[in-house]
Amino acid sequence: MASIHNSADSGFNAPSRPLLQVRDLEVTFRVEDGLARAVDGVSFDLEAGEVLGIVGESGSGKSVTALSILRLIPDPPGRIAQGRILLDGVDLLSLTYREMRQIRGNEIAMIFQEPMTALNPVFNIGMQVREAVLTHAKVSKAEATDRAVQMLEKVGIPSARRRLHDYPHQFSGGMRQRVMIAMALVCHPRILIADEPTTALDVTTQSQILDLMLELKQRESNASIILITHDLGVVAETCNRAVVMYGGKIQEVGTVQQIFNNAKHPYTEGLLTSLPAVAGPRDERLYTIPGNVPSIMDMPSGCRFCTRCEHVTDRCRHEEPALHEIGDGQFVRCHLLEPESKPDSG
Amino acid sequence: MGYRTSRSSSQVTSSTPKTDSDSHAGDHRSLSPLQLRAKRFRRLKRGYYSFVLLTSFYGLSFFLPLLMNHRAILVQYNGEFYFPALASCLHDTFGLGQERVYLANTFDQISRSGQPVFGEANYRELQRTFAEEGSGNFVIMPLIPYGPNESFLDLPGAPPHPPSHLHWMGTDDRARDVMVRLTYGFRISITFALLVTVVAYTIGIVVGAVLGYFGRWVDIVGQRFVEIWGNIPFLYTVIILASILGPSFGLLTAILAAFSWVSITYYLRGEFYREKSKDYVAAAVATGEGHLTIILRHILPNALTPIITFAPFAIVSLIISLVSLDFLGYGLPAPTPSWGELLKQAKVNLRVWHLVVFPLGAMFVTLQLIVFIGEAVREAFDPKVQSRLR
Repeated sequence: MASIHNSADSGFNAPSRPLLQVRDLEVTFRVEDGLARAVDGVSFDLEAGEVLGIVGESGSGKSVTALSILRLIPDPPGRIAQGRILLDGVDLLSLTYREMRQIRGNEIAMIFQEPMTALNPVFNIGMQVREAVLTHAKVSKAEATDRAVQMLEKVGIPSARRRLHDYPHQFSGGMRQRVMIAMALVCHPRILIADEPTTALDVTTQSQILDLMLELKQRESNASIILITHDLGVVAETCNRAVVMYGGKIQEVGTVQQIFNNAKHPYTEGLLTSLPAVAGPRDERLYTIPGNVPSIMDMPSGCRFCTRCEHVTDRCRHEEPALHEIGDGQFVRCHLLEPESKPDSG
Repeated sequence: MGYRTSRSSSQVTSSTPKTDSDSHAGDHRSLSPLQLRAKRFRRLKRGYYSFVLLTSFYGLSFFLPLLMNHRAILVQYNGEFYFPALASCLHDTFGLGQERVYLANTFDQISRSGQPVFGEANYRELQRTFAEEGSGNFVIMPLIPYGPNESFLDLPGAPPHPPSHLHWMGTDDRARDVMVRLTYGFRISITFALLVTVVAYTIGIVVGAVLGYFGRWVDIVGQRFVEIWGNIPFLYTVIILASILGPSFGLLTAILAAFSWVSITYYLRGEFYREKSKDYVAAAVATGEGHLTIILRHILPNALTPIITFAPFAIVSLIISLVSLDFLGYGLPAPTPSWGELLKQAKVNLRVWHLVVFPLGAMFVTLQLIVFIGEAVREAFDPKVQSRLR
C-alpha cells in the first residue's frame, strides 16, 4: 500500500520524501463488548506546505487518526495497535515520552474543536500562550511574553498586550479559537493539526478563522495543515487534497478538484449530493445517504459502505475492496471502480 | 439652578477618577477565578464576618500569655525592668529564646507570713506588696491575671467555685479558672485542627493527584493501599501509640493527619480523572508540556474546588475529634487546657452549671462560626452563579 502513495505528488513540487507519512495505522479501543477498531489500516502522506483535509462522518475515525499523530489517544482504553507515523522518516510511535515532548507543540501542534474547554479556565491567556513558548524555547519570561503578544496580534486579538491578563471566559468563542491558534503556532511548528476548528463557531466566525489559518500559513510559517472536518464546504475552500474516511478506513483520496468534480466513490458522491447547492431548486428535498453508519463493533465484513451503497453487489458484501489508484493521484476503495470489473453503469 | 450646579459639580468630581482609571487601563488586570471567588466570599456577610472574627481571635490568641497570665507583663524592681510574660510568650508560643522563669528571690519576694517564697515569683502578691511599700517598684499584670494551670485553692468554699467577680466563669474541679482554660483551649483546638488539615491535605493531594493522573495500574494498586490504610481502626491506634509513646500534641497531630488524608485522595483522584479528560489538558499535552507541569499548573488549580469547600467542615470535625479524644482521656496530656477535658468535668459535675454552660457555649460558638465560614466558602465556589453570568 505504501507504494501507491509515492506517486501521489498530485501537482505539488514535492520533495523526495513527504513531511509526514502515516502507514497502516490501526487504533483500537477496548470497549465492553471487545475491541473496537476505530482506525483500520490508514495510510496517507502529507507534503510540506500542503493543506490536507480529512473528511468523514462522526465515528469515521478522522479525529482518532489526528490524535494518533501526536500520540494523544487516551490509553487505556485506546491503543495504537500498529502502523508507523513517520515525521521526516522518524517513527513517532517509537519515540520515548521525553522525545515525544520535543515533537509536541514544537514540530506538530494541534488546535482543538471546542475553544470553550481547550483553554485552561484558571489562567489568563497571556500565561497560556507564554507557557507554550517557554516549554520549547530557552528564553526569558519577558521575551516569551513579547512573543506571545506578537503572536496574539498576528491572530487578530485587538490590543493584545492589554488583554494578556484576561481569562478565557472573557473572550468570545471565535476569539478563544484565535488564542488557541496563537498557542499552536507560537513555536512555529511544521505541522498544524486542526481538529474541527470551526465546528463550535458560528458561520461568519468560521470563515474568519479558516482565512486566518491560511493567511498565517502563507505569510508566516508555511506549515502543513491537517484539517479534520465533516464540512465539505470547508474542505473545498481551504484544502489542496482531501482524504475521505468511512468506517475507520480511507475510501477516497485525491486533490480537491478530483474530489469535488470527479468523485468516484459512491460514498463521496453521496456526501457531495447531500450538499445544498446555491443555484439548485429550492423546494426539493435534500439528498441523504440512506441508512446509518453501522456500529464500529459490527462493521460489515466486505466493503464498509455496502450497507448504504446504492450500487452494492454481492461481491461488496463479502470481499473488502483495496484502495487503488484510478489515475493522477486519485485513490478509491471500491470494487466497481477496479479496472478488471469496470461496471457498465458506474 | 442650585440643583443643576450641584449636579454638574458632582459630575466633574466623578469623571475625574474615571479618566484616571482609563489612563491606567494599560495595566489593568482581570480577576482570576480565585480572586473572583474571594470577592464573592467577601460579599457573603455572615461568612465573611465569621471569618474575620475567628481569624482575629485566633491571631490574638498567639499573644494570649500577655492577656491572660499569672506572669506579669512588666516588673520594675530596683530600677530594672523584667518582662516575664513576654519571655514565656515568645518561648511557649513562638519557640523563640530560652525558657525563662523568674524565681521569687529575683525580686526578694517575701510571703505574707514573712517567709521567703520558693520557686517562681507570685506576681499578684508582688504587685500588692510593691503597692503597699510605695517604693517606686511596680508590677503590671495582664488583663486577666490568672494562668491556665493555676489552682485557686484559697478561694472560699470547695472547687468547682461558681462564677465570681474574680473568676468570671468560675473554676473547675481543681480550682483552675474556667475562662482562662477555655481561651487557651481555643488556641490549642484551632492550631491542632489547622495543622492536621494542612498535613492531611498535603498528603491527600499528592496521593490523590498521582492516582488520578496516572491512572491504570498506579491507580489500581495505589487505591488498594489507600483502602487498607483507611481501614486501620483509628481509636485503637491512638490508644496503642499513646500508651507506648505517651500522649503529646505532636503525636496526636501526626496520628490524626495520618488518618484524615484518606478521604482527600478520593475527592482529588476523582477530580483528576474528570479534569484530565478535558480538552485543555489535551492541549497542554499537545504543547509538549511534562507530567509535573500538567499536574501542578494545569489540573491541580482546577481540581481543588471540592476540597477547599470541604476544608472548613474538615476543621470542624477535627476540633470535635480532639474534643472527643480529650473527653475519653486519650487526648492531650494532663495539665494541658483543653475543651474535651472541661467537658469531661462537666459530665462528672452535671449540676455545676457553669462547668456545663461555658465550655459547651464556647464550642458551640466556635464551631458555628466555622460552619458559617464553610457555607460562605461553598457558596463563593459554587459554579452555578458563574454559569448564570455567562
